[in-house]
Amino acid sequence: MNCRSEVLEVTVEARQVEEAMLALLHTILLHRSTGKFHYKKEGTYSIGTVGTLDIDCDFIDFTFVRVSSEELDRVIRKAVSEFKDALSNSGSDGMGQISLEFYQKKKSRWPFSDECIPWEVWSIKVNVVNLANEQERQICREKVGEKLGEKVINVVEVINRHEYLPKMPTQSEVDNVFDTSLKDVQPYLYKITFQITDSLGTSVSTTMRRLIKDTLAL
Amino acid sequence: MAHFDTEYQRLEASYSDSPPGEENLLMHVPEGAKSQWHHIENLDLFFQRVYNLHQKNGFTCMLLGEIFELVQLLFVVGFTVFLANCVDYDILFANKFVNHTDSSKVTLPDAFLPVDVCSARIRDNAFVIFVLIISGVFWLHRLVKFIYNVCCYWEIRSFYINALKMTMSELPYATWQEVQARIVEIQKEHQICIHKKELTELDIYHRILRFKNYMVAMVNKSLLPVRFRPPVLGECVFFTRGLKYNFELIFFWGPGSLFENEWSLKPEYKRGGNRLELADRLASRILWIGIANLLLCPVILVWQILYAFFSYTEVIKREPGSLGARCWSLYGRCYLRHFNELDHELMSRLSKGYKAASKYMNCFLSPLLTVVAKNVAFFAGSLLAVLIALTIYDEDVLAVEHVLSSITLLGVCITVCRSFIPDKNMVFCPEQLLRVILAHIHYMPDHWQGNAHRYETRDQFSQLFQYKAVFILEELISPVVTPIILIFSLRRKSLEIIDFFRNFTVEVVGVGDTCSFAQMDIRQHGHPAWMSEGKTEASIYQQAEDGKTELSLMHFAITNPQWQPPQETTHFISQLKERVHREATGAPSDTNPLSLSESEPRSLIANILGPSTLTSVHFGRDSSLTNHAAAGINDGASALRSLSPVSSSLHLRGSLSAAHRAAGHTSAMSKGMAGSGTDARTVSSGSSAWEGQLTSLVLSEYASTEMSIHALYMHELHKQQSRGELSRHTWHRQDSDESSDSVPDEVRSEPNPHSRHFPRSHTFPTTVASPSAIPTSASACATGSTTLGQEGASSQSSTQRRFSGSDSFGAGGKAVRSARVPMGGWAEDGQAAPRHHDPLPEESSEDDMPPHIHKVT
Repeated sequence: MNCRSEVLEVTVEARQVEEAMLALLHTILLHRSTGKFHYKKEGTYSIGTVGTLDIDCDFIDFTFVRVSSEELDRVIRKAVSEFKDALSNSGSDGMGQISLEFYQKKKSRWPFSDECIPWEVWSIKVNVVNLANEQERQICREKVGEKLGEKVINVVEVINRHEYLPKMPTQSEVDNVFDTSLKDVQPYLYKITFQITDSLGTSVSTTMRRLIKDTLAL
Repeated sequence: MAHFDTEYQRLEASYSDSPPGEENLLMHVPEGAKSQWHHIENLDLFFQRVYNLHQKNGFTCMLLGEIFELVQLLFVVGFTVFLANCVDYDILFANKFVNHTDSSKVTLPDAFLPVDVCSARIRDNAFVIFVLIISGVFWLHRLVKFIYNVCCYWEIRSFYINALKMTMSELPYATWQEVQARIVEIQKEHQICIHKKELTELDIYHRILRFKNYMVAMVNKSLLPVRFRPPVLGECVFFTRGLKYNFELIFFWGPGSLFENEWSLKPEYKRGGNRLELADRLASRILWIGIANLLLCPVILVWQILYAFFSYTEVIKREPGSLGARCWSLYGRCYLRHFNELDHELMSRLSKGYKAASKYMNCFLSPLLTVVAKNVAFFAGSLLAVLIALTIYDEDVLAVEHVLSSITLLGVCITVCRSFIPDKNMVFCPEQLLRVILAHIHYMPDHWQGNAHRYETRDQFSQLFQYKAVFILEELISPVVTPIILIFSLRRKSLEIIDFFRNFTVEVVGVGDTCSFAQMDIRQHGHPAWMSEGKTEASIYQQAEDGKTELSLMHFAITNPQWQPPQETTHFISQLKERVHREATGAPSDTNPLSLSESEPRSLIANILGPSTLTSVHFGRDSSLTNHAAAGINDGASALRSLSPVSSSLHLRGSLSAAHRAAGHTSAMSKGMAGSGTDARTVSSGSSAWEGQLTSLVLSEYASTEMSIHALYMHELHKQQSRGELSRHTWHRQDSDESSDSVPDEVRSEPNPHSRHFPRSHTFPTTVASPSAIPTSASACATGSTTLGQEGASSQSSTQRRFSGSDSFGAGGKAVRSARVPMGGWAEDGQAAPRHHDPLPEESSEDDMPPHIHKVT
């Protein structure tokens, strides 16, 4: 696929899942968001400001920075809590993967619908462990905090590389690159999906699509 | 205050642009998406389409071609049905009379049945309806495909025009290398691929040929079950398009295939842990697909017949001889294909070898058939002559019933017979022809060399180069045979397949998962018997057979001079090139006077071959004096040396590509000129003329020649090396055999008339056995290792090859002959010599024998 993919792996306790996921997703989104664009007549624009907010975790010894946008936070929280519920309902080994995919839209001509082409995918693999007693929980609390700190540095390193980013769009194209639905912040278009258990088999529908595509191809 | 009319005025600043308070903000200018070509989602498909459009000569050509194909299909079906059902043949043949009132003339419309009768006939005939339905589905499928393609390729067209700045009209005259260079160029600007700042040629090739490289590698490692030994027919190769389609379905894109999507293997197949389970799963999948094939067999059969009918009737009509003509078989194409070789490159290479190949096959006409054919032709000819003479005398003869048809039949009969009668002026020189072929096809099994005159070699060659009629026949029976092969043959190999994909898949940044062979890394996949001795670290399992890695690497480097290979690879290439250049230019010319007298090249290869065989004769005759290894080298060297014009082209090309890279164009030119005397002629056509567009074209034309030379050279070295590994007492005999084979007829007649019969009768009691020891046969491998010392030379050299890769390097014997070897690096031959006796049955048989499971984890 013509997109970068980064994989982060964390091992946490069940009650830490939500905070850990929020920490990582918010960290990534912090670096992948800009202020709102205000376009001017001559095709220039100015960028609004973005506030940041420190968030302390309850179950982990960790503090992370997020964009101070309640709307964004709500969206992320919703996705994460769905993931958490699915993970706890799955029962089995407690493996899951949540991925944050940045994409851009490409307008197509009539017979085809608009394409969403991902350019960066962050996959966070979660491994949930059960701990026996309070002491272990204490240790875990610190350990996960350290681990998350490493991951955050990891994320920043990746983001600091000079790699492909969609070009800054003109006013008409801004919806193809940025998510403009939020009032106070403007992240790149993103999508959060999750998967429970490790099996990554292609679903029937994608196979069918490929089968048809292949027969059509020259 | 109005009279203070100064020049100072209030500046009409653009305050209105920004709301008050924002004056100090940074202003940004959006770059916008200048083109839609940045960040393309599916680059594999994209590059494939770009390539296809180039091969189809632009959008209009493609569009028209496809439209006409659709119309043709309709026409053929409609017309066939009409002929079968709506014509009253009794009227045409005048068995029935029509009562016309005005005249007695029969007109064509008289023979047509009325519409209602006609449609009733069609309706009653179930078979016709079945055929009509299937061809209707077929046609609709084509139509949908066509519409889809038009949409897709329209986009590619605008890519060509807007991004690559090539109009459709100039596309047919642009080489692929040019297109590719532009793609590499625009990557810097548009970032088609987001992983890298720059694309390389190899990236593009990898993407276009991802699955084909896998197929080539699998055929190379004899993983696919394509060789069979049915009871009556002997060994044969069965590889049809249907089978290939099924293989691809199973491995690459079908439901539950090994690949997740076009660019990545599923992660579980990359891990060794549960290979047995995965193999089981694959086996059951193959079983299901086989059963599905079996169930769909009738439909596919009708489809195939229709397809064959539609595609070939037109060809047969146009040139009736074409059915007798041969074509490169599908297996041949896989076997002969380099890694990273695009279709057009392969096709042009094979087409160049076509003439020589068919000549070679024609050498082997059965004498019995010839005698019969001569006589049949005689009788048919005399009848025909009489009939024609009578007709000329009085044309009423034609009106007699069946005279015209018998004339036609006799004519056909004579034509057929003539094809069995060898050309009077043709001489039997298979060894030469085989080398010409080798110069183009670049690959052949070791045991062919020196055995070109044998029927077994011919039979094996015919597996690569089959009759077109056989090809069509195979396609027709393929629906029945394919499920059997899948269920009984491929299924057993599932574990090997799983292992293959795990071991030979690498993930390349910006490309995805590719076949590791396609990386053309000498270190990982080189074969020590093919010039990468000492450089390779590959185990036998990892080596590509037949020197495929090395030859592919050379081929790719030559066709893409701009490509910057990794460090060691560059070293290998430059070393080899230097050697070839040295051989081509530096040697004295007195050994082959004939070649220089013929400096005007009628055909290039005639020049390669003529002198080389001569020298081999020369050395063969007084072989008591000359060390054979030296003769072998001279053989190769003279072959190269004799190519004076080619070597000049070599220099020219080298210098040109050098000039491409660096600026010193003229100095490189002069360096090229210094190389050989005949350079001047080629170069004198003006260095300015080589600029620009022409350059790439010229380069690519010379590239194939250069590659031919390199291929011949590598084969020569390889032969020599494997021969060097033989123990001392066999070289003498092999030598005499070799020399006698390669004598061209004209020469053979006078100097040494019985040298030809000599080895067959007495000295070589075992030569009859040697062809049966061809390594493709399973039994030979077992016997090969035990009877090695006494076997015929040819079989030895082939078994040698298999042993030469074993890792038992420590036991280095002294070099048997190293003094006369001019180029360093082959002293290892001696080391390899004692290795024949290593009993390595499993490993040695691995490359040629299909059913072996490698315990590689």
